[in-house]
Amino acid sequence: MPAFEPVLTRNFAVPDSQTLRAYESRGGYQASRKAITEMDPDKVVQIVKDSELRGRGGAGFPCGLKWSFLPKDRQETFMCVNGDESEPATFNNRLLIERDPHQFIEGILISCFATKAATAYVYLRFEYIHAFRIMERAIAEAREAGHLGKNIYGSGFDLEIYCHRGAGAYICGEETGLIESLEGKRGWPRIKPPFPAIEGAFRKPTVVNNVETLACVPHIIERGADWFKSIGTPKSYGPKLYCVSGHVNKQVCVELPLGVTTRELIEDHAGGVWKGRKVKATVPGGISMGVMSADEMDVKLDFEDIKKTGCLGLGTAAVTVMDDQTSMVDYLYNTSRFFAHESCGQCTPCREGTGWMYKIFKRIKAGGGRLEDLDVLTMMANNMGLTPGTTICGLADGAAWPVKNVLAKFRPELEEYIKKNQSSKPLVTPLQKAIAAGTVAEPVALGGRVYPAPQPALRSPGGS
Amino acid sequence: MATIIINGEDHELPEGEKLNAIQAAKLAGVDIPYYCWHPALSVVANCRMCEIEVGQKDAKTGEIKMIPKLVPGCQTPAKDGTVLVTDSAKVKEHQRMIMEYLLINHPLDCPVCDQAGMCGLQDYSYEYGQANHRFVEERVINPKKDVSDEIQLNQDRCIMCTRCVRFTREITQTGELQVMRRGNHAEIGVFPGHPVDNPLAGNVVDLCPVGALLDKDFLHKQRAWFLSKHDAICTRCSTGCNVKAEENKGRLWRFTPRNNPLVNDYWICDEGRASYKAANDDGLLTSSYAKTGGNLASTPIDQALKFVSQALGQVARDGGKVAAVVSPFLTVEEAYLLASYLKGLNAENVLALGPIPSRGEDRTFTPDQTKGRTGDTSFVVPRPFTIHAEKCPNRRGVEAVLAHFQGEVIPFDAISKRVTSGEFQALYFTSDAIDAREAEAEAKALRDGVKFLVVQDTLVTPLAQLADAVLAGATFAEKAGCYVNADGRLQYAEASLPPRDGSLPDLDIFAVLMGRAGGPARSRDILAEVASTIPVFSAADGGVLPEFGVVIGQTNGQAAPELVGAGGRFDDPWQIPRYLKGDRPGEPGPKGGKNA
Ligand SMILES: Cc1cc2nc3c(=O)[nH]c(=O)nc-3n(C[C@H](O)[C@H](O)[C@H](O)COP(=O)(O)O)c2cc1C
Ligand code: SF4
Repeated sequence: MPAFEPVLTRNFAVPDSQTLRAYESRGGYQASRKAITEMDPDKVVQIVKDSELRGRGGAGFPCGLKWSFLPKDRQETFMCVNGDESEPATFNNRLLIERDPHQFIEGILISCFATKAATAYVYLRFEYIHAFRIMERAIAEAREAGHLGKNIYGSGFDLEIYCHRGAGAYICGEETGLIESLEGKRGWPRIKPPFPAIEGAFRKPTVVNNVETLACVPHIIERGADWFKSIGTPKSYGPKLYCVSGHVNKQVCVELPLGVTTRELIEDHAGGVWKGRKVKATVPGGISMGVMSADEMDVKLDFEDIKKTGCLGLGTAAVTVMDDQTSMVDYLYNTSRFFAHESCGQCTPCREGTGWMYKIFKRIKAGGGRLEDLDVLTMMANNMGLTPGTTICGLADGAAWPVKNVLAKFRPELEEYIKKNQSSKPLVTPLQKAIAAGTVAEPVALGGRVYPAPQPALRSPGGS
Repeated sequence: MATIIINGEDHELPEGEKLNAIQAAKLAGVDIPYYCWHPALSVVANCRMCEIEVGQKDAKTGEIKMIPKLVPGCQTPAKDGTVLVTDSAKVKEHQRMIMEYLLINHPLDCPVCDQAGMCGLQDYSYEYGQANHRFVEERVINPKKDVSDEIQLNQDRCIMCTRCVRFTREITQTGELQVMRRGNHAEIGVFPGHPVDNPLAGNVVDLCPVGALLDKDFLHKQRAWFLSKHDAICTRCSTGCNVKAEENKGRLWRFTPRNNPLVNDYWICDEGRASYKAANDDGLLTSSYAKTGGNLASTPIDQALKFVSQALGQVARDGGKVAAVVSPFLTVEEAYLLASYLKGLNAENVLALGPIPSRGEDRTFTPDQTKGRTGDTSFVVPRPFTIHAEKCPNRRGVEAVLAHFQGEVIPFDAISKRVTSGEFQALYFTSDAIDAREAEAEAKALRDGVKFLVVQDTLVTPLAQLADAVLAGATFAEKAGCYVNADGRLQYAEASLPPRDGSLPDLDIFAVLMGRAGGPARSRDILAEVASTIPVFSAADGGVLPEFGVVIGQTNGQAAPELVGAGGRFDDPWQIPRYLKGDRPGEPGPKGGKNA
């Protein structure tokens, strides 16, 4: 295999890489010129389809296929670029925008040409104010140079790009949540169907793509689909920005072919685990994707292999490393707090389930855990999300997966924790107090119609 | 004919209607529980209660392919070959889970909750939930707040179905209500200084499937199960909204809307909602009066009627004429009997239409589907709702009766002039208007124009003070009969209260005056008579009306088929008392109704 040559990050180290001059001097905007002046939109779509570029935003949906879902007879199309990047530990979009905005704009340009969109909205996470300013400047430069605006390259194709800043909600990264938020509404995901390609922003056909997905497009046009498919593993082609963070010596974002392993990432790129410790677990692609144990460090991080570990998917390829002194209870406490805080509150299982999970972990952490809590958690984790079909969006899956994976892979540790950590003064609710004092019957003892009585609790919380 | 397969049984789908799985199942007698779905509001599928297993039957091979996931019924179109499974273990476990989730942060305050007895959470907990409770953490307790002067929001009881929010966005388009905050802290709220004060605001209380949105007027006054519900018509404007008049202990306690897709859809306006109060007014006449020795004295109704009958008979024998003011608040049957009575006394007697109260302008709310969320809303039929400026229920009906008896409709102003000029010997004045009272000067002029004045009303008006006889008639709540609304639709209203002591329903008053045989007059018999004598009413043949009323001036044969939906009158299942559903503890439910 020839040595891998980074393309997405090739300008990152160039001085003034955000400027049009620097970008053009390195061959920038050649691909867009080629696409717009020499090809017709369907050809571009076909090339992207041939390259089997899969979405980098989380779901890994084939990009070209998504574009071809747009109705043939559409009048107006919108492009929404998903730069909400709120998945914890993910920062590749930020680097792509901050270090090489023109590569991104060129990607938008070609993709809009392919999808016949005359308007593109770049939805940026609220906190990315720096990236927002860089984008605004780059858009102005590009318009000045004739890469944006009316009649681009004399082809009759028009494009305007607008940057929109979110207001700080994870859920606005979900494509329909993003669209609602863009329309000025509350970021509540919509039911599908209709998919955005049929009815999206302002009720018009809309394409939603991640920043990195679009940044790949100019390179595909420039070097061809075959080049793209020569990189990576079967069904997962192309380069990918991997973020490595957590308990490593060097937190990095590196561009590598799809399909590296966690071990390679940690050892070759992140300088190993900090303080000379060992890996206990890794999060493969943002916390919604679940966890992998230390035994699974040689699994390839691509769209397919990773599912064998029971994880939800590759997600954003943001690897978080936990060393052997990390408590899984702390990890679950943190993830559940995140999802309870970020659930938009629309679907009953997600709204109530994430809150309930968080409260249980809080109690376990404070020393009030009960063994049967783990069964309740398993029940919840198995029954919320898009996978069982009980919610509108995938946030609930993201909330369920860490719990599901940890319970499958680290249950003894949790049991151990609960047994060892029975604080004499745990957090107790009035109800728990009453149960412990025997003035109220154990609620589960009252009915037991659907569930058999649980295993006897180690000790009722609150009891001394 | 399209066929849908529900729980293994084939059912035919009605033609020309787009239904979702919930509606199609209901037609087949299968309940799919839901909270957030409402037939007039956009589909959001956020409560997740209606999830079922869905599949498709291949038309050629007959093979059934099921979707592996659960799918919300509200979002599933019912098409030919659609397969629904609503009673599998998977679905039941899901329903149990949703009920558990909905209740973890819900207070256990049914004993003090107004909704208890007609609450979606209570009904479905019993039917689909579980008796135990595994949640031992601290509940989220969201605050109680006022969203307007009339409406209170107990946020701790809210299940975030967002029906109320969608109502203010899509139907009234005033958008006062919104969701604030996120996750299980999410709340419904209003912006400071922008209360829910649109003219249809009260409907959010009826829409709320739980006891979160409450009508302050009704708050803590009655328990839902003590109220008997009567099918009435609101008499506050010429829309003729179908309402449920809810009665207990001889008083009305509230009006709630009754679905009529051809009139008011699912809504009533706030003014109409508050109008039930007039039936409980302390100032209602509790006796009839007759003038003896120059003074009005309380007189038993039978004597008062004799007095009136003799006096009017005398006028007729003397060759004098009687003018009658037929109030647009009278029912068709009453107007018909009054007209027959007076024309029977003397064909020269003149009938005129009572004063037509009018306020403001007609206001129409046209649902805006584009204001809703996107999604398949083809099962939502957007229908406008109008509040009319004409504040009486039966102008069209009375006009039709008058036109039949004398060929023309004399407006009140014209007859008033003629009465003042002394053309008539006697005046028979009917009213029962709540706010259309004659000014004193006008009353005096009318009084001075005739020798004998009968006033039939429910309240003491300036004219009644001057009358020779005052007959205590029935309020809208005490009489049964039909009204014709602004669109010419003839609709029947049940009596919801017995006649007050000392009063007699207007229909009986006229029947007694006429000496009509056969005991108390029944509106149905008289309507049958109206239908056979007055051609425009012929659609009311036999005194029986279709469920949603009928447009007068058409015979049954001519009437265009009306699109009302195959389901008939819509009611959320929790609005229907359990005993009507035939669903008692220990007994199997009606046709597959009981799922657990
Ligand atoms: C809860 C949730 C959050 C998401 N957040 C993001 C995000 O921050 N950035 C992103 O690109 N995609 C995010 N996605 C994925 C998007 O829904 C969508 O799949 C993606 O933008 C499609 O782009 P792609 O095809 O280029 O990957 C999120 C999905 C869910 C369910
Ligand atoms: S799954 Fe959660 S975050 Fe997604 S729409 Fe439903 S409530 Fe909102």
